[in-house]
Amino acid sequence: MSGYDFETLKVLVVDDSRPMRSLINSFLMGFGVRDTYEAADANEAFEAVKSVSPDIVITDWRMPPTDGLDLVKNIRMDLDSPNPYLPIIMLTGFTELHRVKQARDAGVTAFLAKPISAAALYRRLCTVIDDQRPFVRVGKFFGPDRRAKNRSDQYMGVERRRGV
Amino acid sequence: MADTPQKFDPPNRLSKKVSKTSGPTPEKAILRALNAAEDLIDSYQGWAVDDLAKLWKAYEDHRAESGSAKELLTMFEIAHGIRGEGGSFGFHLISTIGDSLCKFLEGKKKLSAVGSEVIKVHILAMRAVFRQNLKGPQPSMDRELRKLLGLLRQRVG
Repeated sequence: MSGYDFETLKVLVVDDSRPMRSLINSFLMGFGVRDTYEAADANEAFEAVKSVSPDIVITDWRMPPTDGLDLVKNIRMDLDSPNPYLPIIMLTGFTELHRVKQARDAGVTAFLAKPISAAALYRRLCTVIDDQRPFVRVGKFFGPDRRAKNRSDQYMGVERRRGV
Repeated sequence: MADTPQKFDPPNRLSKKVSKTSGPTPEKAILRALNAAEDLIDSYQGWAVDDLAKLWKAYEDHRAESGSAKELLTMFEIAHGIRGEGGSFGFHLISTIGDSLCKFLEGKKKLSAVGSEVIKVHILAMRAVFRQNLKGPQPSMDRELRKLLGLLRQRVG
């Protein structure tokens, strides 16, 4: 035993694809998460956020006729939102840079590209749990600080630039 | 005048709630997750066949209606779902083909007859992957497919 203990976490999984919801739920249960909840669209998900108070939301982006970005904005800005600081992982097949920026500008905490793997989801959960970013309100934006500076403590790779 | 940013430091409740030392090692947790998902991964091909049937129907409707934008959007939606699901359930080539189809369809309002054939090629390629049960990363085939489908999209536009 020497890793993260997810037993007490409550996670809400939002995706219009039932197979994807089931797969993510299975991965989460394998990691040890006991309380998982599902929603098939953004409206259902926001109701679930209000009723079950999850610790983390994992949401798809494109869920016609609703949209994962609307859910993010509701969680961050809606007066009915029970927790505007709720960590949100955006899960999507859209991986183009402008899409990533769009998700970040809506206030997502982390981004995970589909297709997903158990290892990638595990790493992303750990990142979100350790994420100490402050929140910023500026103009119409409210969400985790979008600037990457002063975050060298979170870099997990080889420090190739050290000593340069 | 620009708004002045306001900063908030929310308490990191998750970091307090989740112990970082009393759980299984990451390797063990990931292995458990893969085992938990094993049955689902086996069932995926059945779900995907349904999606492919919907895609084929949208393709045929599109041809019958001489190229309606509605059917193009339907095909994009299905292909977008398939590209996310394929690799997640172990069929990486399905994601590669689905991604190529999305790139071809995104933003298109109408298609030429040759354009319709490009869609057909993608659907037939997905069927072949399932028929041959080509699971896993398949790196050399993936490279070849990306190249060929990319050239096809480029030529047809």
